[in-house]
Amino acid sequence: MSRPGFSWTIGAAAAVIASTSGYAAEYLTIEQAQQALLPGVRLTPAPIQLTSSQRAAVAARAGTRVRSPALRAWRSARGDWFLVDEALGKHEFITFAVGIDSRGAVTGVEILTYRETYGGEIRRPAWRAQFTGKTVASPLKLDTDIQNISGATLSCRHVTAGVKRVLETYALVLRSLP
Amino acid sequence: MPSSSARCLSALPLRRARPLLGTYVEIIVRDAPVPGIARTFARAFAAIEQVHRLMSPRDPSSDVARMNAALIGRPVKIHPWTDEVLAAARHLSEISGGVFDVTCGPGHDAPGWRELNRRPGGRVCRLASVTVDLGGIAKGYAVDRAVAALQEAGVRAATVNAGGDLRSFGDEPHSITIRHPASPGCLIPVGWLTTGAFATSANYLDAPGAGRLRRPDGRRLWTGRSSVSVHAPTAMIADALTKVVAAVGPDRSAPILRRYGATALIVTRSGRITCIDERGEGNHATRAAA
Repeated sequence: MSRPGFSWTIGAAAAVIASTSGYAAEYLTIEQAQQALLPGVRLTPAPIQLTSSQRAAVAARAGTRVRSPALRAWRSARGDWFLVDEALGKHEFITFAVGIDSRGAVTGVEILTYRETYGGEIRRPAWRAQFTGKTVASPLKLDTDIQNISGATLSCRHVTAGVKRVLETYALVLRSLP
Repeated sequence: MPSSSARCLSALPLRRARPLLGTYVEIIVRDAPVPGIARTFARAFAAIEQVHRLMSPRDPSSDVARMNAALIGRPVKIHPWTDEVLAAARHLSEISGGVFDVTCGPGHDAPGWRELNRRPGGRVCRLASVTVDLGGIAKGYAVDRAVAALQEAGVRAATVNAGGDLRSFGDEPHSITIRHPASPGCLIPVGWLTTGAFATSANYLDAPGAGRLRRPDGRRLWTGRSSVSVHAPTAMIADALTKVVAAVGPDRSAPILRRYGATALIVTRSGRITCIDERGEGNHATRAAA
């Protein structure tokens, strides 16, 4: 089979149709992430609210704000923990999950959902001419088809900071719970 | 309770993503034996983590940090993967006349890449006080290792995408999009990928002047704020060649691309497109995008 590895289409197009909608990717449900990070472990929801002093302590250690006192946490009888949190970038909004086993070791980090929106920047008149049928006032429709995007490297530092926040929450608050 | 394998079968393609290498690494499995798929993902992500451990400049135990910390002339034992990257980097430096260079040094008199000496037995030593930086090639190599892990696990079709450096294998062509350099939220479809790698370098997310390009005279050069994309057989080569194309432009990079079986695309902020295709034509300009 001599199919080329890659076929350029951009040179042949009469006009480049560029997507103006935001993009979203859904990777794992919470249940799937629980299975991935703590396979076979029976988890039950642990609705924990951080006190204001706990929030302050976590924020001081992690170097980031704790946006909500309500933790999205699940735990096992023997002390495994599964936590879900969010990370906000300038244009990205990510939910992620962290698994921590009963010895306190991180079993992994998985991205649950990724969403990016740049809608506010697309205002130039030249752009509008291409996108027949779409108006500037159209609400952003998030494209959830699998997009294979090749672009400049987005930094995951917001998720990295979020993971640190989760781990400090575990160390300061959760680890010592009965 | 339905068996997890039956549930997974109807759920292909499966997608997972993790924060690694300072970016988002996404793995999409389109066709694979489903039993054991969780371990398959784990192995592929583990390969990415292994490359990070070996080539991260910040981790003092990484091969790169150890190379840079070693005395001049003292050989350092490195992992076979690091050795493979250094060998490819040297070849790229030779082919590109030093435009691609994984070293930077205190002086710019001599090309730094000649000061890295690979020895038998998986050792390398620096012959002068140059700093090794594999940032322009390691991400692509990590993608290649993850692809190898997937293939070893019996995956038949998949894509690994590490922060925009991606590589696919399998039979099904899928659309590749790039970001418009003037408006990164705008995704432009550029072609259909069946096998091989696709990498894009651009600085529309960075401060002006960022980049690790080198001309033989030591000066850094970047073709404005354009976006450069390369298709090549491996992600390591695609990753590295984006820097070469950005440094020397379409005409001079055309023969270099041809040596590696690669093609390239440059998109300027104003939407002007230049394709460097397999016929080796540089400056094959096409109509503007916007």
